[in-house]
Amino acid sequence: MSCKNQSFLGSLGAILFGIVLASCDSAPTESADVSEPNASSQSGSEEQIILAIGGESEEGYDPTLGWGRYGSPLFQSTLLKRDADLNIVNDLATDYSVSEDGLTWTVTIREDAVFSDGEPLTATDVAYTFNQAADSGGLTDVTVLAEAIAIDDTTVELRLSQPQSTFVNRLITLGIVPEHAHGPDYARTPIGSGPYQLVQWDEGQQLIVDANPNYYGTAPGIERLVFLFVEEDAAFAAVKAGEAQVASVPQSLAVQAVEGMTLYDVDSVDNRGLMFPYVPASAGETTPNGDPIGDDVTADLAIRQAVNYAIDRQALVEGVLEGYGSVAYGPVSGLAWEEPSAAIEDAQPETAQEILAAGGWTDGDGDGVLEKDSLTAEFTLLYPANDSTRQALALSVAEMLKPIGIQANVAGKSWDEIKPAMHSNVVLFGWGSHDQTEMYNLYHSQAAQGDFYNAGYYANQAIDKTLDLAMGASSEAEAIAFWQAAQWDGEMGFTAKGDAAWAWLVNLDHTYFVNDCLNIGQPQVEPHGHGWPITANIAKWEWTCN
Amino acid sequence: MPILTFTAQKFLRLGLLLLAVAIFTFVLLSLSPIDPVQAYIGADMMQISPEQQQLIAERWGLDQPMVVRFWDWLGQLLQGNLGTSIVYNQPVVEVIATRFWLSLQMLAIAWLLSGILGLGLGILAGALAGSWIDRIIRLYAYTLASSPTFWVALLLLITFSVSLKVTPICCAAPPGVLTADVTIWQHLHHLLLPSITLSIIGIANITLHTRQKLIDVLHSDYILFAHAQGETLWGVIRYHGFRNLILPALTLQFASLSELFGGSVLVEQVFAYPGLGEATVQAALRSDIPLLVGIVFFSALFVYSGNTLADLAYPIVDPRIRIGGH
Repeated sequence: MSCKNQSFLGSLGAILFGIVLASCDSAPTESADVSEPNASSQSGSEEQIILAIGGESEEGYDPTLGWGRYGSPLFQSTLLKRDADLNIVNDLATDYSVSEDGLTWTVTIREDAVFSDGEPLTATDVAYTFNQAADSGGLTDVTVLAEAIAIDDTTVELRLSQPQSTFVNRLITLGIVPEHAHGPDYARTPIGSGPYQLVQWDEGQQLIVDANPNYYGTAPGIERLVFLFVEEDAAFAAVKAGEAQVASVPQSLAVQAVEGMTLYDVDSVDNRGLMFPYVPASAGETTPNGDPIGDDVTADLAIRQAVNYAIDRQALVEGVLEGYGSVAYGPVSGLAWEEPSAAIEDAQPETAQEILAAGGWTDGDGDGVLEKDSLTAEFTLLYPANDSTRQALALSVAEMLKPIGIQANVAGKSWDEIKPAMHSNVVLFGWGSHDQTEMYNLYHSQAAQGDFYNAGYYANQAIDKTLDLAMGASSEAEAIAFWQAAQWDGEMGFTAKGDAAWAWLVNLDHTYFVNDCLNIGQPQVEPHGHGWPITANIAKWEWTCN
Repeated sequence: MPILTFTAQKFLRLGLLLLAVAIFTFVLLSLSPIDPVQAYIGADMMQISPEQQQLIAERWGLDQPMVVRFWDWLGQLLQGNLGTSIVYNQPVVEVIATRFWLSLQMLAIAWLLSGILGLGLGILAGALAGSWIDRIIRLYAYTLASSPTFWVALLLLITFSVSLKVTPICCAAPPGVLTADVTIWQHLHHLLLPSITLSIIGIANITLHTRQKLIDVLHSDYILFAHAQGETLWGVIRYHGFRNLILPALTLQFASLSELFGGSVLVEQVFAYPGLGEATVQAALRSDIPLLVGIVFFSALFVYSGNTLADLAYPIVDPRIRIGGH
């Protein structure tokens, strides 16, 4: 018996050892070649292209569980969608209106839509999808929906429990599923009214989809898409071998030129920024979990503003991101609800020093670090240790703050260590979404509950009010004025000129290699998540060579 | 009667082993700092309200305390249900079945290769002990025995896939080809390098033990007697040595199932082979308790069966160890 126990423990040990090693994710495929020896037949054509852009959904392709929250849901279609400029346009919907009180959304849908199994898509399916999504614990948040009711074949009423202008994002992202074919197996056998239908999914390897002949829109330009699920290095190797026609690559690989491929350098709102604890630690508050809140140094507005002004964001873009990025002054760069006047003139150590001096910070003991009363201008800057980009950003920022007398102690930790410490230390976070809910949750004082939401416990009643007005507006267009005012309205806001609750640094560009023969149109400003978002307009892609 | 006692004992031990494994895995994972809900939400954290997080936790019963979850799980298990995987949103049994099928092919080839090569090399080295062939085989065995699997895997990958380009670099099938159109040769082509890497784990062990056993056998009195009767070296090994030296080889071969299973996790990572190893890593990193317990359960069963098979094979090879001892 002892022999068996040992061998079993051996296997358990080996498995655990494997987990440890694998979690370090030794990228073994560097500069490797994916080519099959006789793979010459696999270059792209209008019949088939191969994409190595990641994006596998391990739990399957069910929109009610969150599939398709960015990029194209492929198999399903949505009521509305965003065009290249992120304007809201109709897809399945022909029209929609919101009641005066913002509680009832009435949507009329087109009559000619059919699912890939030939059944027509009716308002019942739309109501079913929304009700289902509201009940299922997935990655799409429809909790504000009280009920969805089909009025007739083409009209559906979505009744909310409270007004929510960002609910329009659910109409944009939630793919409609067929009530008659939706069940536990649906995620692996998706049926929908989208431009493509599932042919084969080899889990962990590839997804093969064909154009849906029943699609109501313009027929897709490419007949078959093959999504290859490989690491970025392997994706790059596939591109070099001419095997993949589209691949997402990290910025560090984007600098290399590949023959026959064009580098697409897509703007994104995939941002990185410093979150400051907003309240003083001396208040002694703790989160519901008992983690400490606040930092005496960053609770001082002068410190937060000085950091914002001292940082040279363009230098970060050039130095850390190899030029594949843009400067960020707020959480929503490049989106329609960004407030342009919130931008500041940065890389101004003199301005920063003036702010600090006016705030009462002086270098009394001449050690190069400022003091104010018993406080020293010093804080810990945490970043997730496995992210080399954030590491470089954190170290560069610390260097930029040294000349103005602020000491940032950079420390890389795992998320499990950062979480309890993130309310009392400066953290280098990264967010970025097309959904304004994110901005609301980053800055609303009520959102701060000891979690990632408003981790710094920023609180400004006036800003709360503006954010609530934006959330309660009856349309996105109406809400935008409030979203912008919350950033900076000329007198106050949460950005650098106002409360400077964060010091936003940069937005990462998403870099893709695309075959010269493939026309992918104009990509959107992409959200957090490099890869799948480029598929947003995939039905319009065209192969231009013969 | 002895057979019955033997069987009953085996099953009792297996039951206790599985129970212990289940409790350990369950408790350890529940105590791990990884929150499965947050691991599931990932970068979408800002769009998921606390209400929705609550829904997600309820969907998997994560709002219940650990003890309640464990009893629920145990109750389901007694009805043959291993639960639903959080990561794959699929019954654990199905996740394991589809992935193990891919891993099994790799494991089977590796297992056979290591057994046959190990035994063959061991006999050759033992028979020609002290010769240059023996030295080369021993050098080879010692080198392999001291090399970590993932390192060997990387070397092979760099040599054969990157430099020589004779083997594919990833996956279990060529991209863009429907399952129905994948030929058996393409299939084997993708299996080749992972299997060879994995087989290396077992070869050294079996070779060295077989060699030593054969040397012992060759120095025994009955071999001397056989030689005196005019039997050749290979005749001696064939008729007098083989049955003796196959016992340690058999033990090692079946015991190596555990190492193979563990090694496959590493090898699958390196070769991006979508088998059970990949699922194990995902399950652990995302705190998918049902799946990880299922996999650990399965691997325990797998290894235990291997050892039992070895037990059953002994009497066939050597009549002296038959139960009841006739």
